[in-house]
Parts: sequence; C-alpha cells; structure tokens
Amino acid sequence: MASNPDQPWLLENGTLKGLTKETGRTGRTAHNMSSSSLRKKSDRTLVSKVPCALLRQFLANLQEVLLGTKLAVLFPAIPLAIAAQCFGFARPWVFALSLIGLMPLAERVSFLTEQIAYYTGPTVGGLLNATCGNATELIIAIFALAQHKVAVVKYSLLGSILSNLLLVLGTSLFCGGIANMKKEQKYDRRQADVNSLMLLLALLCHLLPMLFTFAAAGSSTGMGVDSTLHLSRASSTVMLLAYAAYIVFQLWTHRELFEAQEEADDDDVVEETPDIGFWSGIVWLVGMTAVIALLSEYVVGTIEEAADSWGLSVSFISIILLPIVGNAAEHAGAIIFAFKNKLDITLGVALGSATQIAMFVVPLCVIIAWIMGINMDLNFSVIETGSLALSILAVAFTLQDGSSHYLKGLVLLLCYIIIAACFFVNKSPLHQSNILNPGLQTSTGAVRGA
Amino acid sequence: MEESQEALNNIENGISNYNKGLGNNKEINGSKTPQNLSASIVRKKSDPILVSNVRFQMLRNILNNLHEVVLGTKLAVLFPAIPLAILADFYHFGRPWIFALSLLGLTPLAERVSFLTEQIAYFTGPTVGGLLNATCGNATEMIIAFFALRQNKIHVVKYSLLGSILSNLLLVLGTSLLFGGLANLKKEQRYDRKQADVNSLLLLLGLLCHMLPLMFRYASGLGNPFAIDTLQLSRTSSIFMLIAYVAYIFFQLKTHRQLFESQEEDEDEDEDGEKAVIGFWSAFSWLVGMTIIIALLSEYVVGTIEAASNSWGISVNFISIILLPIVGNAAEHAGSIIFALKNKLDISLGVALGSASQISMFVVPLSVIVAWIMGIQMDLDFSLLETGSLAFTIIITAFTLQDGTSHYMKGVILFLCYVVIAACFFVDKIPMNETIVLGNLGTVNEPSSGILFA
Repeated sequence: MASNPDQPWLLENGTLKGLTKETGRTGRTAHNMSSSSLRKKSDRTLVSKVPCALLRQFLANLQEVLLGTKLAVLFPAIPLAIAAQCFGFARPWVFALSLIGLMPLAERVSFLTEQIAYYTGPTVGGLLNATCGNATELIIAIFALAQHKVAVVKYSLLGSILSNLLLVLGTSLFCGGIANMKKEQKYDRRQADVNSLMLLLALLCHLLPMLFTFAAAGSSTGMGVDSTLHLSRASSTVMLLAYAAYIVFQLWTHRELFEAQEEADDDDVVEETPDIGFWSGIVWLVGMTAVIALLSEYVVGTIEEAADSWGLSVSFISIILLPIVGNAAEHAGAIIFAFKNKLDITLGVALGSATQIAMFVVPLCVIIAWIMGINMDLNFSVIETGSLALSILAVAFTLQDGSSHYLKGLVLLLCYIIIAACFFVNKSPLHQSNILNPGLQTSTGAVRGA
Repeated sequence: MEESQEALNNIENGISNYNKGLGNNKEINGSKTPQNLSASIVRKKSDPILVSNVRFQMLRNILNNLHEVVLGTKLAVLFPAIPLAILADFYHFGRPWIFALSLLGLTPLAERVSFLTEQIAYFTGPTVGGLLNATCGNATEMIIAFFALRQNKIHVVKYSLLGSILSNLLLVLGTSLLFGGLANLKKEQRYDRKQADVNSLLLLLGLLCHMLPLMFRYASGLGNPFAIDTLQLSRTSSIFMLIAYVAYIFFQLKTHRQLFESQEEDEDEDEDGEKAVIGFWSAFSWLVGMTIIIALLSEYVVGTIEAASNSWGISVNFISIILLPIVGNAAEHAGSIIFALKNKLDISLGVALGSASQISMFVVPLSVIVAWIMGIQMDLDFSLLETGSLAFTIIITAFTLQDGTSHYMKGVILFLCYVVIAACFFVDKIPMNETIVLGNLGTVNEPSSGILFA
C-alpha cells in the first residue's frame, strides 16, 4: 500500500528547490491557473493496488499525465489519426482526427510547462510561458511555412488573435456577467491597457505594409512587393524588441500589475507541490511536442482536401476552425474563472495570449521565413487587417473602464460571429495565392497575386 | 552692478509694466507656459564677470546683451553652421552641404526664437505672452512651409508639417515617457488627463479634416473633374480649423487657464529670475533679425532638398517627414525629456501635445489659406499612407494618455511606433515626380487600377 504517493518522486528526482508559499504562488501565471481548472485530481487508489513499486510509480505518472484532464476522452483520436494516415483513409478524416487529437495535447503541454515551472522558479516559469504558451500555434505555423503555405500561416495566426480577443474574452465576459449579475465585476485596467497598447503597435505593423501595397499599386514601378518585404522584416524586429521589453515589464519591473488574484482559495486550486518530477516532466514535454508536430503536419498537409470536401474555404478553416481547436483548453479555463468573478485571470489569459501571438509568434514566423528564404510579409490583406483593427479597437475600448457586465461579452461575441460569417462567405480560391504570395483584395473578394 | 544694469535697461526701454503684475504670483507663473519652461532648461545663466572688464558702459551693455542672446544656450555650438551655410551657397559648394549646414544652423535659431518670445512675454504680460507662444511657437515650421509654398513644392509643405505632428506625438512624447519611466521606476507617475483630452480632441478634428478629402478622392474614383471640390472642401475645412484653434486659445488662456498651469511646486535653481534678462526693444530687434536668418536658411533648405535627397539616396518624403522635424524640434525635445526625468509630466505633455495641436490646427490651415491667397492649389489631402499613419498616431496617443498615469512601457511603444513609421517612409521609394506634374493629388492616382471600388 502506498504510504505517500508523492515521496517516491522526491527520492527519484532529487530535492525540489525551496518552495515557499510565495514563490509557489507567483510562479502561477494567469495562464497556468486557468488550465488548472480543467484538471482533476488523479485517483491513486486504482494504482495503489499494483504490487510492484516501480510499476506503481510508472503507472501513477502515466495516470497523472494522461488522465489528469477532462479532455482526456479525446486522446484516442491521436492513434486513430495516425492509423488513418498510414492506411490511406480519406484525407478529410485525417484532418478532423488530427484536429481533435490536438486539443488535449495542447492542454497537457500547458500542464507540463507549469509543472516544470515549479522547479525552475517563477521568473523562468514566466519566461517559459511567454515563449511556449502558444506552442501549438507556433508549431502549426512552422509546418505550414515548411510546406510553403504562407496564406495558412498568416490566417491561422490572425485567427488565433481574433479568437482570443473576441471569442474567448466575449464568452468569458458574457458567462461571467450572467453568473454574477448582482455583483460588481471589476478588474485592474492597467494590465489591459498595456496589452491593448502592444496590440495597437502590432496593428500598426500590419497596417503600414497594407497601405503601402495600396499606394504602390498605383505607381508605375513594381517596387511594391520588395519594399513591403523589407518593411515587414524591419517591423518584425521592432515587434520582437517590444515583446522583450514587455517581458521585462511583466516579469521584473512591474510584476505587481500581473499578479493573479488569489484571495479566496478554493478547493480547486492545486496545492503548491508539483505532481510529477522534473525530468519526467521534460520527457513528457518532448514526447508530446513530437506528437503535436506530427499531427500538425497532417493538419497542414490535408487542409485543402478537407476544405474542398466540406465545401468551406481554406481561409475559413484557418481563421476560425484551427484557432478554436488550438485554444479550447484556455477557453474553458477563462470561462470558469469568469464564473468565479476572477476577471483579472481571464483577462490575463485572453489578452496575454493575443499579445503573445501578435508580438512574438507572428514576427518570429516572418524571421524564420526570412531564414528559410520564403517571402512572408506582414500584409494580411484588406478584410483581415480591417477585422483585426476593429477587434483591437473594440476590445481596447471595452476594457478601458475597469468594470464589466454581460453585454460587453455579448457584443464581443457577436463581433466574432459576424467576422466568422464574413470569412464563411468569402470563398476565395487560395490555391494560387499559396504559390504567388497574396497581395491585394478587391471588393469582390477575389485574391489577386501581387 | 546688477541693479544699475537693471535700471539702465528700464531707462532704455521705458518703464516696463512688469511691476504691475509682480503682486500676483499666479500671473507671473502664467507667463511661463510649458514650452517656455522646457526651453529654459537648455539655457545656461550667462556669466557677467567676463563682460564687466570692458570699460565703457554702453559697450558693456551691448556685449552683455550679445552674450545673453547668442551664447545663452548649450546649442550655441551649432551657431557657426549659419555663416558656413551662407558661404557654401555663395561659393557653390555641393548642394547637399548647403542642405546639411542649413539644417544644423536652424536648430539653435529655433531655440533662441523661443527664448526671445519668452523675454518679450515678460514685458507684455502673460496673456499676450501666451498668444505670442500660440502663434510663433512653431515659427520654424511655419517659415519652412511658407518658403516651400513659394517654390511651389506642395508635397514638402504637407509632409514636413505632417512629420512635425508625428514627431511631436510619437518621438518627443515617446522618448519623454520612456526616460521618465525609467528614471522614476519606483514612483507613480501621474498627470492631469484633462489637458491631454482637450488636445486629443483637437487632433481628432484635424484628422477628420484630412480624411474627408482623401476619402472624397477615392470615392469619386476619377481624379481630375473632382479635384476642384477637394480644394474647396479643404479651404472650407481650414477656416473651421482656424476657428477651432481660436476657441482653443480662448479656452487655454482665459476661461480654463487652471488646466494648463505648469507644475511649479519646487522651484529649481535653473529657472531664470522673474525679470527679463534683456530689454524689450533689444529682444524685439533680435527676434526680427533671427527670423530673417531663419528665413534665409529655410530658403536654402527648401531649395536644395531634392539635390540632397538624390545625393544621399533617400526619398524626399523621408527627409520631409523624418529629418526636418527632428531638427526643428530638437530644443523642445530635449526640454521635454528633462522635465519627464524630473517627473513633471504635465510640462512634457504640454510641450509635445501643445506643439502638435498648434501645427495641426493652426499652421496647416494657415498654409492652405496662404496658398489660396498666392493662387497655389494646396489641399488637405495628404495621401493614403501618410493619412493612415496620422490617424493611427492620434488614436494610439489618445489611448495612451487617457488614463492619467504613465510607465516606461508606454514610452517604448510610442517610440517603436515612430521607428516603424520611419522605416515605412524609408522604404517608400514611390517616385514623387509624377505628383508635381499632376498638381498635387498626393500619390499617383491611376483610377484604372481600381484600387478600392471597382
């Protein structure tokens, strides 16, 4: 019978770093706390019946990692997807199964990052979260770049930003407002302000290449594309600088603005000790990232067939479907915290994720494309940039007074639905744009290669 | 020595009415607008010991005067550029040299004009002083614009004024907030947001007046038949912008003066004493003289801008939007940063925002009206890229300043916005030749390309 299931881990992995209550607390960023609400305490009684101690530890580890989430029901999709690919099933099936399989994997990666953060301390934990918090989107983008599908990269990242700003935030504010109808819902607006400013800078970096392409289209020389590329690359460097300053701001000088609210400890909050060891965490993380990479490769490879087969456009799948899948765990967590009237955490999740994608993942993709010799610029064409601009302005305006009610959430949610409808009817053929690097869009919606 | 000098000044210039205002502390403080305060930072107290050795009283006064005016600033090291620029023009050195030297020469001159305006304000009282500042605070930009109009270089006018607005809103404000935030990391940085709000509103009105002609041009599709309408719209808008500016001056100097009082709780030793250091008429004549030199150098700058652009390989756009304003604003810029370092953000904001409002709502419409009088067709349509940058700048600045606190991250973002816009105009090698020929419709508008409304 297992005396203390935690002890074997302490023996196996060496002592943990001094975990006072305070460092443990500050290591829990908003991101981590939201995902933790999806976890369930693993039931050790089943494992404790196994006689052999080593096998018991192994099974406990497995149970903790694999079954420690409510999304674990979706795990069987992963072997099914691999089987579908190997046995040559219909490509849309591979696409759908890979998408479903990505959801629990994204959540588990976030869990593992949090576990590792216990060992490395709060600052490195924050840094880890700042870089790998959107690992799924980053991996999908890199595979799409490798297959020269620049349009998919642009639209999936754009869709992630829109999903975080409008869908996640909207549903959270809406559900939180309905659940807390009689209470006043307040949050610290300074965190929202900083994120809004970062998003506005990102918007500028997208707006200028688009206007530039417009202005250059009227001139006689064909210098537009080249200049746009140089401008995009320079802007990406600036964006990465700004993100570095933001990390310094968030983790070092103005840390108190971003502390997660923890006045009322519920029984939901996981206790301060980690559940798995450091090295096992790293091993699981590497393994899961490899599986994510595999599934992402399937997704990117089969996106066109799925689009054709289901009668949707590739842009709709990239902008709407992919981000909903990739963000599912964060989404659920944000809603749950909004129910508990802890809006600071919700905002930290949604806005922080949007800022991270806009100011880190997008410019990183441009730089990686530059290294790989692919011409990716920051010109997401008119409709996409317009949607982005309106979303950022709407969110900045909504969040600038420091209080919330359900109508704010409803309006943001409806904005998202309208944008989704816009891309649903936008049946532009993206095939040639994948080769020709999309340029302008006329009002009829047809994409014209630059 | 000190009081006899003062007595001599009074005798020379007539009794100043300055004594009337001495009893009222508020009035004295009111004469030091934020711009005057900030410029006073780059001044140094002139050292009278050097002068007192000279024998004759009159000569001593003249030399003291000279010392105070010409050497009274740290920027005085740049003064030799002025004669060099004039020489370069006479002896036909390379045109880029004339351009560069004229630019360098303009920097201290702009600062001295601001100093002289402040000195005159001591004699005329705070209200007229405020009025003087409101009209001549950006004298350099106005003179450059006038000369560019005279040489029919409309795009230089438009883009240099636009660049001044962008520079004030993003560069000056951004670097001030950045350095202020870094220097005051542990303190809370607050400012009165009502002043920022009024300026943001004015800038938004200016933005509307720029966007309507632009959208008008796009909506009409075909260029030429409707060019006259854009012109009439621009001229009408300019009149209303000037009306708005007059109302703003009234608001600032008369009815809501307390919103714009600069923070003066702790007096530094840097500030000038309450009395003027030079007499009224000497200040006036110095002002006239310096304005003439500014006019001369501006004429060189505007005349040689294309040659410099070709020789240095950067577009005229970039020089007009980025380089010219940085030079013209250098003194205000330094002053604004210094006040932000001392955590006196109200003054920094007063300088940056006030200057931007003044250019947007006074200098630009004034240029349109002057062009109208001169028979030149200048409209408010700054083309798509420039208007887009302006719109975005005003929005982000209004958003940044609307909560009344500041930290360095705000400065970082505003500054990086400026860098990105500068990069955009740097790579913008759209040829400007066609626009001069087509009579100032902004960038080339080929309706057949069907940019927006096919």
